[in-house]
Amino acid sequence: MTVTPAVVEEEAPTKKGLNFTFPLEETEMGIVAGIIAAVITIYTGFPAVIKGVGLILAFLWGMDSVHKTSKYGLGTGVPSIGVLAIGYGVIGTVMGLALAEYGRIGQLYPAVLVGVLVMGVIGLVSGTMSNHEKLIAMKIPHLERAMMELGMAGTLIILLECSIVTGSLNFGAVVTNVMNTGLIALMFIFSCFAILHPYNACLGPDERRERTRMVAVEIGGLVCVLLGLALVVLGTSPYGILDGVSLIVFGVAVWVVFFRMFIKACMDEAYSTVGTGLIKTIE
Amino acid sequence: MGLIVVLLFAWMLVIAFLAFIACTFEDLESDMGSQSNPNSQVQLAAQVGQINRFFNKAISGEPLSNALYCATAGTVAWLLLLKLEPLVPGEEWKAAVLAIPVGVLAAAMVNMIFSVTSHCGRTAAMKRFEQPIYLDVLYGHLLPIATHAFMTTFCITCIAYIQSNLGTLSGNPSLNHPFALPLLGFIWGITVGSIGSSTGDVHYGTEREFQDRPFGEGKRVVYHGKITRYADCGVRTQRDIAGFCAKFGGPVTGMTFGLIILFENWRSMVGMQLSGFLPALPVFTSTADMAAVIGIVMGLLIVAALAVGNLVFVRWVRKKCGPFVGV
Repeated sequence: MTVTPAVVEEEAPTKKGLNFTFPLEETEMGIVAGIIAAVITIYTGFPAVIKGVGLILAFLWGMDSVHKTSKYGLGTGVPSIGVLAIGYGVIGTVMGLALAEYGRIGQLYPAVLVGVLVMGVIGLVSGTMSNHEKLIAMKIPHLERAMMELGMAGTLIILLECSIVTGSLNFGAVVTNVMNTGLIALMFIFSCFAILHPYNACLGPDERRERTRMVAVEIGGLVCVLLGLALVVLGTSPYGILDGVSLIVFGVAVWVVFFRMFIKACMDEAYSTVGTGLIKTIE
Repeated sequence: MGLIVVLLFAWMLVIAFLAFIACTFEDLESDMGSQSNPNSQVQLAAQVGQINRFFNKAISGEPLSNALYCATAGTVAWLLLLKLEPLVPGEEWKAAVLAIPVGVLAAAMVNMIFSVTSHCGRTAAMKRFEQPIYLDVLYGHLLPIATHAFMTTFCITCIAYIQSNLGTLSGNPSLNHPFALPLLGFIWGITVGSIGSSTGDVHYGTEREFQDRPFGEGKRVVYHGKITRYADCGVRTQRDIAGFCAKFGGPVTGMTFGLIILFENWRSMVGMQLSGFLPALPVFTSTADMAAVIGIVMGLLIVAALAVGNLVFVRWVRKKCGPFVGV
């Protein structure tokens, strides 16, 4: 039996639905998302919707880092990279929260960024060790930078989620409302998926970065809905119940828009989308 | 033996039974969406020219995805319980009857969303291999996936609920599990996914694809994708695979998980009972040490018995049924 040739000449992308692009390249995206998310993280007085925007930006950054790290693999290691990032994130968050009281001005907690920076350094060191000739010698291009960004994005994500649910970054408040209630489990696993699932779901030779990023934003919307629900029930927001409700509405809107956009883009860009049909006969 | 101890043993048996159901459906759900079972074949099939009508549910590995569903269900159920339990004082189970299914429904919807994104995303990324998106495959597999996942998540959330209220249900509230419901759901989700991922995948390898080869060896990778093409009658989809696996693979996976839960809890409980640790729970005394020692010794005995039993059984089977066909 013979097999049809695997590679076929690519058609020019003429179909509709292809015009959507994110304006920023990977490096610009990292810088912009990192700065905005960090500013939103340290000032906890923002309403939850603004923190949700910061969260989605941090997800985009994390997703880009996963993309960078896993681009050279077969796709089997993508989930573990996402889990690694959020694992860094939880440790960095605990460290940042432990230092949060130093230099606090009202609702401004600049010291939590120490956790972000330390996780960046740890990521850099582990990336360097993995790539170093004499140690593990994996020789993956750009691994050092990607691991550093993973640590920083992961920490910002978990800090922002803690900030949404508790309304502050006080260590005691976070332990009471996030750790003891078990919400940390939901935050951990959903954040993992928000940064690992986009690339894992869109993996393949014809993967397109814009399409992949839509999934990250869409899952960000889902996270906002669930955190908004928690915010409404726990009632920890200084702005009352409206804060949580607005976060839920924001999350639903983001999810609907980006989910539709993603499915439309996939169906337009796939080889063909058919209602039904038999498979192509081989010989 | 007091009533509390009898109730504790009874709840342990209920948990083991729920674990059996959960893992059976977990394995079938992964077959339905090609998550672990014929996964590598589905991912590769189009790339080696074997266009197929399979659902490409690439939501990471099973442990992580089940942790996602169970943590979501646990969180939503727990949030609802926080609001509903004060409404029915003294009869908290009524709140649970409403909260757990609603939480699990949310988790099933999350599962469907992730399934759709991964199928569409992966198929669109295989454009150059001429793999189309079949809409009937997409829609037709979503409900089976969601219902199987509903059963798994429902059982796991029930286990987590029973565990976090074990003391209250047996009559001594100090025996309640210290972890919150979402955290227990997360841990149980990872566990059920790991067992489902490692056990019961009877659809590829020796059992189906390469039955004429010893241990399924010796065929070129190009032919591996063939498993996705034709069924016994017509073009194969995952609904055929779930039917195939429901006869043996699913139940045997459930049995593995159920037996693990049963033996693990049974040895700890018997150790606690024999050393007089139950139901008063004296803290950090020699009684507690004794309970641990008895439990560990019983665990070692169970492992030894299973290993010997397995050896004897495999010897008997080989003698009776002879070597593999094709050797």
